[in-house]
Amino acid sequence: MTKFNLQSMIDKIEDATGTPGEVYDGINNDETIYIEPDQLVDVINILRDHFDCIHLTAITAQQREDQHDTIEVMYHFWKGRGITLLMKLPTSTPQLTSIIDFLPGADFYEREVAEMFGIHYTGREETPPLLLPDDWQNGPPFIGREENDAE
Amino acid sequence: MLKNVIEKTYRWAQKNSLWVIHFNTGGCNGCDIEILDLLTPRYDVERLGIIAQGSPRHADVLLCTGPVTKQTRDGLWQIYTQMPSPKYVVAVGSCSNTGGVFNGSDTVLGGVDKLLPVDVYIPGCPCRPEAIINALLTLRERITSGDKI
Amino acid sequence: MQNRISIPIGPQHPLLKEPLSMMIDISGEKVLGGSMRLGYVHRGIERLAEQRNYIQNVLLIERVCGICSHVHTTTYCYAVEALLGIEIPPRAQYIRALMCELERIHSHLLWLGILAKHVGLETIFMHAWHDRESSLDIMEAISGGRVSHAANQIGGVSFNLDKAQAEMIRSTISNLRTQVEGLLNVIETEPALHARTQGVAPVSAEMIRQYCVVGPIARASGVDIDLRRDDPLPPYDQLEFKVITHADGDAWARTLVRAQETRESLNLCDTIMRDMPDGEVLVRAPRKVPPGEAIIRSEAPRGEVFYYLRSDGSENPARVKIRTPTLSALSMIPAQLAAIQVADIPVVLAGIDLCVACADR
Repeated sequence: MTKFNLQSMIDKIEDATGTPGEVYDGINNDETIYIEPDQLVDVINILRDHFDCIHLTAITAQQREDQHDTIEVMYHFWKGRGITLLMKLPTSTPQLTSIIDFLPGADFYEREVAEMFGIHYTGREETPPLLLPDDWQNGPPFIGREENDAE
Repeated sequence: MLKNVIEKTYRWAQKNSLWVIHFNTGGCNGCDIEILDLLTPRYDVERLGIIAQGSPRHADVLLCTGPVTKQTRDGLWQIYTQMPSPKYVVAVGSCSNTGGVFNGSDTVLGGVDKLLPVDVYIPGCPCRPEAIINALLTLRERITSGDKI
Repeated sequence: MQNRISIPIGPQHPLLKEPLSMMIDISGEKVLGGSMRLGYVHRGIERLAEQRNYIQNVLLIERVCGICSHVHTTTYCYAVEALLGIEIPPRAQYIRALMCELERIHSHLLWLGILAKHVGLETIFMHAWHDRESSLDIMEAISGGRVSHAANQIGGVSFNLDKAQAEMIRSTISNLRTQVEGLLNVIETEPALHARTQGVAPVSAEMIRQYCVVGPIARASGVDIDLRRDDPLPPYDQLEFKVITHADGDAWARTLVRAQETRESLNLCDTIMRDMPDGEVLVRAPRKVPPGEAIIRSEAPRGEVFYYLRSDGSENPARVKIRTPTLSALSMIPAQLAAIQVADIPVVLAGIDLCVACADR
């Protein structure tokens, strides 16, 4: 399986979006690129069209302990080796564009991240809950827990 | 006198043909595959008259695994109410006893006895097929002695 | 024109070993489509993992799924060891791989029995599960547990193999190979099985890519991915094995891929036992993990398992993200259900080898 060339990927992203691609080297084992949330669909199209990289392993979201006003969202792709797209969204209005039109496999991932972190996906009719029980009343379970944790 | 004989025969028939229904209330599957193992040649509970049933209306014993997630609570209650009396509930594995490793999770009730009256508890994570057979034999003895909570 | 009706399946159903709710739309004998509701097995493991320390999490992660428990802890332990910057001894790597392959054998034989039961071939179910007991015996003899082994620790594995155990493993694998070859012979020649599975619910390679499906289902549609070869954890980079693919993508291809993978796993077990180096099996690992993030992928019996782990320098992880292979396979079910017959529903569901506990976490 041929592995992609990271530098040529960054160059292509810079050509298409005008923003210089920034590599984040904090993640052990996966190449990671910072992108802006509104560039998501363009970058995924570049990955698919130029690098044949369309296998989306997961969408991870998290909130760092010292940054409650930001939600980090990562799209993990894989082609020979892992490539992760890292975005930061504001906690007050976390919004992303849905990619289920051309990648139906992302449906479950988007629904899970939407219910767990309150992220709003545009471009899809509805985002029904995936895992939380029908009678769940407490809002996104991963947000705002630090106030309740006894640690 | 006649009533005694009838009751004894009834209990003998019941203990020798315990039909079980198995419901997974959100467990990891470890206990479930050990329960399925009972039906296979090495453990073979059919020699004790125990067979697995698909419908709650045909079953005497409810074998419950899993810590009872909130989503399965209604399903568990419905199965229990559909079973005809006399019915018995066996909590298989640490999760259905107390919630197991998932105790404290916000989507888990924490054990079958939070919802249903349990007759036999089987500890273990997962419990061995021999332990499940032992539990079913214990249940048979309680049926013979007429002891039902 | 017959009316369209919807049949609910689950959460309790003889077809399903785990709670899962599906609504299948049919018209006469033809299935039009369906939808499903997950979440019955959602125990909030990712949230629980943040409240416990790294060592307690090994026990928690093992119970994400009972069938593929070892590969989950293997991936998690490799992620923690990456953050700690330690490398486990080679003998421990080989023992982890041995348990992974034994788990693959037991999982595929389990699946074979379930498929045979749904198709009506009860004898194959009994034989497959009886033969599966041999692999559980090996795992119990070396680790102490049949289904949950507590084999992994951060820094290595919790047991070593002596000469007598190594000999027992070799002879049991040899016996099991004879049994599995007998089963394979039956599967490859049994006309009833062919009739029920050939041509049923074919899945194209393009659909596999669109739904991000992994594992034997992908390999049965000609998509040649296997993380043991493509992104190997040690010691798979030093082991030789075949990756089985078939091109047709129907239920028969999925059956063949898993059945033949069982044979490959038996061969891999022999290779691992032959090549296993001597040495210790555990190195000491600190309790506090320095801040950092790590991603580790591995190949479970059902496909790609992915762990993202972030540490903030304390004794508890800051974030554990788990992706399991069945999640994408489940998302493909409604598309697979379109245009099959009602009688094929069990074959389609069995061919996916569902592990809802994995998907819901």
